[in-house]
Amino acid sequence: MAGFRSALFYQDPKAALKWLEEAFGFELSMLLEDAEGNLAHSQMSFGDDYVMIGQEWSADHKSPKSVGGKNTQTVSIQLDGDIDAHCERARRAGAEIVAEPETQFYGDRTYRCRDPEGHIWTVSQTVKTVSREEAEAASGLKITGWI
Amino acid sequence: MTSKVFVSLRVKTTPERAFAAFVEEIGAWWRPNGLFQTTPRAPGVLAFEPGQGGRLTETLANGKVFEIGRITAWEPPARLEFTWRQANFPLELHTEVEVRFEAVGEETRVSVEHRGFDQVPEGAARHGFPDEALLMRLAEWWQVLLASYRDRSA
Repeated sequence: MAGFRSALFYQDPKAALKWLEEAFGFELSMLLEDAEGNLAHSQMSFGDDYVMIGQEWSADHKSPKSVGGKNTQTVSIQLDGDIDAHCERARRAGAEIVAEPETQFYGDRTYRCRDPEGHIWTVSQTVKTVSREEAEAASGLKITGWI
Repeated sequence: MTSKVFVSLRVKTTPERAFAAFVEEIGAWWRPNGLFQTTPRAPGVLAFEPGQGGRLTETLANGKVFEIGRITAWEPPARLEFTWRQANFPLELHTEVEVRFEAVGEETRVSVEHRGFDQVPEGAARHGFPDEALLMRLAEWWQVLLASYRDRSA
């Protein structure tokens, strides 16, 4: 099936699998371990999508923890449930909340957090329908492709 | 320790129905895979003999019955474990499959863990694959199997 998938790298990917379940409610949908118990490949599902969780497998595939907390891209989680409760669950699991839940001009309520190795995650829930005109008026942006 | 291949998905039914469909309807949802041939002949029909110690068999077109494995844990509706041995495995090698059924709201999370496939030696059963490629193919096959099973059980 054509589409996008993201892969995230961790110094301790097995700890990440546990944490992502506890914090975000992801479910482990695939895991390969070698005879020594090392993680070779894994996938965690949420809704109809999944992310791949892996080790730092080359000099250019690093956890933010290994590069001073820097991220070059982030993964967004789209919820259909209560985002404030989701944020509290993540906080209890040890997420560092970088931006508390706030409703945005385009109709989504969002928060941002860092996981224990420094990956930044953006979490969104659509809470109201906003027209293109309303969004343009609120933001001062010219918007193309608004559905 | 031993290698492990884990896959899981949700089915829209109860653990009781999910367990029953896995065991009783395996002949309908099973999808043979040329990389993991159980016997040298054309694929047959799989069936479990329910209960601890029951056999997992494959009945071939010529009527012969091949024993793939035996049930080593029978704990409906939560857990099932059985051994898995292909005809092209060395005689002493049995891999192990554990299936768990866990209620999540109105759905059931069904997970399969297949252990020990790294012990398959060089030869017909391995197709020259290194461990990681072999385990990845095995995981992908179980994903296909579970998707077929999900469509059957819901």
